[in-house]
Amino acid sequence: MARHSKLQKQVLSLYRQFLRAAQDKPGFIPRIRDEFRVSAAIKKTDVMHIEYLYRRGQRQLELLKDVNTKQLGSFSKSKEDSS
Amino acid sequence: ICLSVQNKCELNKYSINEGKAISTQYPVVDHEFDAVVVGAGGAGLRAAFGLSEAGFNTACVTKLFPTRSHTVAAQGGINAALGNMEEDDWRWHFYDTVKGSDWLGDQDAIHYMTEQAPAAVVELENFGMPFSRTEEGRIYQRAFGGQSLKFGKGGQAHRCCCVADRTGHSLLHTLYGRSLRYDTSYFVEYFALDLLMEDGECKGVIALCMEDGSIHRFRAKNTVIATGGYGRTYFSCTSAHTSTGDGNAMVTRAGLPCQDLEFVQFHPTGIYGAGCLITEGCRGEGGILINSEGERFMERYAPNAKDLASRDVVSRSMTIELREGRYNILNLYYNINLLFCAQNTVITHKDGEDTVVPGLYACGESGCASVHGANRLGANSLLDLVVFGRACALTIAETDTPGEKLSPLKPNAGEASVANMDKIRFANGSTRTSEIRLNMQKTMQSHAAVFRTGDTLKEGCDKMDSVYKSLDDIKTFDRGIVWNTDLVETLELQNLMLNGVQTIVSAEARTESRGAHAREDFKDRVDEYDYSKSLQGQVKKPFEQHWRKHTLSYVDPKTGKVTLEYRPVIDNSLNAEECAAIPPAIRSY
Repeated sequence: MARHSKLQKQVLSLYRQFLRAAQDKPGFIPRIRDEFRVSAAIKKTDVMHIEYLYRRGQRQLELLKDVNTKQLGSFSKSKEDSS
Repeated sequence: ICLSVQNKCELNKYSINEGKAISTQYPVVDHEFDAVVVGAGGAGLRAAFGLSEAGFNTACVTKLFPTRSHTVAAQGGINAALGNMEEDDWRWHFYDTVKGSDWLGDQDAIHYMTEQAPAAVVELENFGMPFSRTEEGRIYQRAFGGQSLKFGKGGQAHRCCCVADRTGHSLLHTLYGRSLRYDTSYFVEYFALDLLMEDGECKGVIALCMEDGSIHRFRAKNTVIATGGYGRTYFSCTSAHTSTGDGNAMVTRAGLPCQDLEFVQFHPTGIYGAGCLITEGCRGEGGILINSEGERFMERYAPNAKDLASRDVVSRSMTIELREGRYNILNLYYNINLLFCAQNTVITHKDGEDTVVPGLYACGESGCASVHGANRLGANSLLDLVVFGRACALTIAETDTPGEKLSPLKPNAGEASVANMDKIRFANGSTRTSEIRLNMQKTMQSHAAVFRTGDTLKEGCDKMDSVYKSLDDIKTFDRGIVWNTDLVETLELQNLMLNGVQTIVSAEARTESRGAHAREDFKDRVDEYDYSKSLQGQVKKPFEQHWRKHTLSYVDPKTGKVTLEYRPVIDNSLNAEECAAIPPAIRSY
């Protein structure tokens, strides 16, 4: 089985850090999982894109870790209104 | 896992819907702070680190990096009666400011500002601001428009402390550097959408993170608005592209009034086509204005102060010269460029009485203390920023303690803002944002410029009304959510429109000429007494019949209809013994 590349390990570590930071704050974990799942479809070779998302993720992680960030909710459009 | 927010987010068209594609779902991150400052220019930074210094957990939400705020463009200086160049007294500065405001400024606020001015400048100097120096090493002060000694009788005063010609730049960078010492949380490149109001109280701000398109609600007991002016409502202006009056619009949408928006300052030495200006400091250092015949025309219009008369006087004089065919040397034609907008938000609510909206403050160009009244003297605005930025922080420190528990907020607070944003993001009408913006700018430029007449203003109001309605038919192109500048520009356009309609309707209603608002059909000032004659035997006009009052304007965001109310000017200073109030008189330079 192929070992994870350095970048893959970094991404996985980021994911773990996110889950750990989101433990006590309601609403974050489903969204974190969704985002990573969607981004997992990016090709392994598209390094620029991955690194961009990784850097953005790090900034978002800092925000999440901040003690003043409390919870995550969402506003979504119901099916009738999406055009 | 407790998902309290997600369970309750349902009203109108918005409902919880998990498993939907991420693109039509807006994640909302909630933050809790003791205080939120919107805007990171001179006033915003001063308020933010003032609050942090007082121990409050503060967030500063800004759509620009702090050092890119428009404060950086200010050139002239800061007025303070330090007395380095000649003997000076803050009461003379007080007199000049009251006169400069054409007696529309609130004298208690002006008292506060001019008395605090020397301390404010010394504080800036201690922060490391690199003021220009005299040979003895004291702060260099230059002459500036509208500043005099001995209550107008002692000649030109030199009280504008400056840093060469880049005072605003130094000020902002000094404040930014100082702010890094404190633990304020900066949310840079977050566009504030609206205030979170509940039961007439302000409970925070909702903002869009431009970088990743997420929505953030900043809950705080105290919100300070320091978002600056709205120069971009005009076609020819010297303000940055980002001067879009976002704070004023947020306040308007919350159903609160804005004060004195009709007083828009036109800078005399702006350069048409270039969008920049030549600082008043040139005139302070000895520069003079000459018309095409080589005559120093200001001597005719302002025999004492000449080129250093107050800016509105100089602007009007230049326009008259232009009209009479003596084009001045800078070839301004009639596009005398706009500098700062004079007055903006007020946080008190009038129902016959002033009441305070709890939790909401405003300072800087977007605040209206009102120190500038009908006309702002050059170099008083940087002073306004630091003094009232600090004053906001001090007031909040007096009324609240850090770490107080927040009052509850409805789980779907801010929904309307997100709905509006979503509507714009997918807007598919027929006119582009840039077209509507150009229409608005040209309308404002031709109908609400330096000289205004009833007919042009009325026509302008109708045109602005139709431009406002054309917003419903807007078309945007970028459907994404990450760095969607089309979306942000359209939101800014909405904000500009709200400011623009209030400006022009207030101007149309005010049938007098005062300060920066000059009407060709009503050339005189209409006060409660006629101050050009002796007061003996005169009957005081009732409040409804004179114009020495502040305009409060409200807008219904759906229709663009403006309603106006008025409130009286505060004529007494904070302490009559220390500083006597100045009774109104005829304003001439």
